[in-house]
Amino acid sequence: MERARPVAGSIAAHIGVGLRAPHIAEVLASRPAIGWFEVHSENYMGRGPGFAALMKVRRDYPLSLHGVGLSLGTAEGLDRAHLYELKELVERSEPFLVSEHLSWSVTGGVYLNDLLPLPLTEETLAVVSRNIALMQETLGRRVLIENPSSYLRFRHSAIPEPEFLAELVRRTGCGLLCDVNNIYVSCTNFAEDTAAYLAALPSEAVGEIHLSGHFRSERRGRALLIDDHGAQVSDEVWALYRLALERFGMVPTLIEWDKNLPPWAALLAEARRALEVAESIMAADADAG
Amino acid sequence: MRAALLEGEEAVVLPHVRADGLTAAERLAVYRNNVTSSLTALLEQVFPAVRRLVDERFFAYAAHEFLTRQPPARACLADYGAGFAEFLAAFPACRELVYLADVARLEWLMHAAAQAPDAAALPPQALERVRPEETPRLLLSLHPSLGLIASSWPIDRIWRANRAGVESSEEIDLDAAGARLEVRRSGSDVVMRALPAAPFAFHAALKAGEALGAATERALAEDADFDLAAALVELFRDGAVTAVALAPEEPSA
Repeated sequence: MERARPVAGSIAAHIGVGLRAPHIAEVLASRPAIGWFEVHSENYMGRGPGFAALMKVRRDYPLSLHGVGLSLGTAEGLDRAHLYELKELVERSEPFLVSEHLSWSVTGGVYLNDLLPLPLTEETLAVVSRNIALMQETLGRRVLIENPSSYLRFRHSAIPEPEFLAELVRRTGCGLLCDVNNIYVSCTNFAEDTAAYLAALPSEAVGEIHLSGHFRSERRGRALLIDDHGAQVSDEVWALYRLALERFGMVPTLIEWDKNLPPWAALLAEARRALEVAESIMAADADAG
Repeated sequence: MRAALLEGEEAVVLPHVRADGLTAAERLAVYRNNVTSSLTALLEQVFPAVRRLVDERFFAYAAHEFLTRQPPARACLADYGAGFAEFLAAFPACRELVYLADVARLEWLMHAAAQAPDAAALPPQALERVRPEETPRLLLSLHPSLGLIASSWPIDRIWRANRAGVESSEEIDLDAAGARLEVRRSGSDVVMRALPAAPFAFHAALKAGEALGAATERALAEDADFDLAAALVELFRDGAVTAVALAPEEPSA
């Protein structure tokens, strides 16, 4: 399969879109000028027509596999069956990126369909590092770990999240998927500084950026943002994306919009906007350099 | 935390949550709502006609009761909801909707058909080298997407009248005949059709792994005029046969 990864030097080739099943037929028919696509690994672990359609997309575009269910924070260890299904999917679809979240979702044989928060402690650091190491060893490749959106923090969490992520990078050699919307959501929910969060991430480890919309609510005058991937990227998140690009350089950037799924054209428009932002930052960079 | 999210038992978790402007319970509620609403949305996608037959609030209630009792066992959610029809059948709150569980069974078959693995269809020539005396021992594998459901209720008409985007004021006579339905994938579409009693019994027996002789007997028991040759032509024409084998010979008495 050629074009296994975005073409170096082309900014447009770095802009990708999260691909959902209802859009696949239109994408195959129109072959949009999108650099790459990302799908949720868990949606393609069967051998039905869904996977066959994905492979048609894969023939023409680089692919990224984004996991939502491996539960890297599970202290009992990873679900081996799930891990081997992922390995098989990686071998069949040859993605240029594989990613998962800093979260947990599996306990005692039950899968809670959400990215649940972890106490950020030394103990958790050991658990997640062990699980990432096993994941990388099994897949035979480096994976990217995404910062989750958070709505609560545990009293005994002692390590700030960006430092926790940096330590995972140091211990396992993993990369990071910097979800700019998630940083905005979490920092707003805990009244923290988004720029300081970005600055605390090890920039050389960031291998992908996610952009998406969120839902804003209020409780007694206090903002509570919910990361629902159900709207356009907000102005604040675009501003933070500029900062992220200035700090990390041009890394593959993904538009995610999977709740209240809009027509394909709306995703394409968001991708064009990401391209405009990236081109303006990179041009400024080139001028300065 | 699992008990807090699924069953609302928060007492163990709350003392460990930093309040920070919002109460700990408000913070935890975001996750509980995420888990519940994402799984409810998934069930709505798989069971759209059931969702329309009850209303949105009742569906959310039934879904919540179901997912509390049968949360997903794995992160691959393609087979989540397999137990929903049986759950509805035993759910006292919808006992009056006698056909609801069968509509759910039908929608589950459609969902399963849509994602069943692909299998290449055999041409009728696959039977050319079978000797006549071997015919009763033939085992025909049917396409993995093919499923069958029999109901005492006209669930095909109920389903058609309750598809998304369909406004139907059709009155469906529940005392009318029930339905024997076959669901399978044709190209990328899932198709449903009603079968007469004999072909239904024939397909069901083959699907259950019975040999051609036994399956034919079941069909003849439904209808003495059952035409085996025509039934076979139709199965191959539909691309429903994916493997042919011979069952071992019965030891002679």
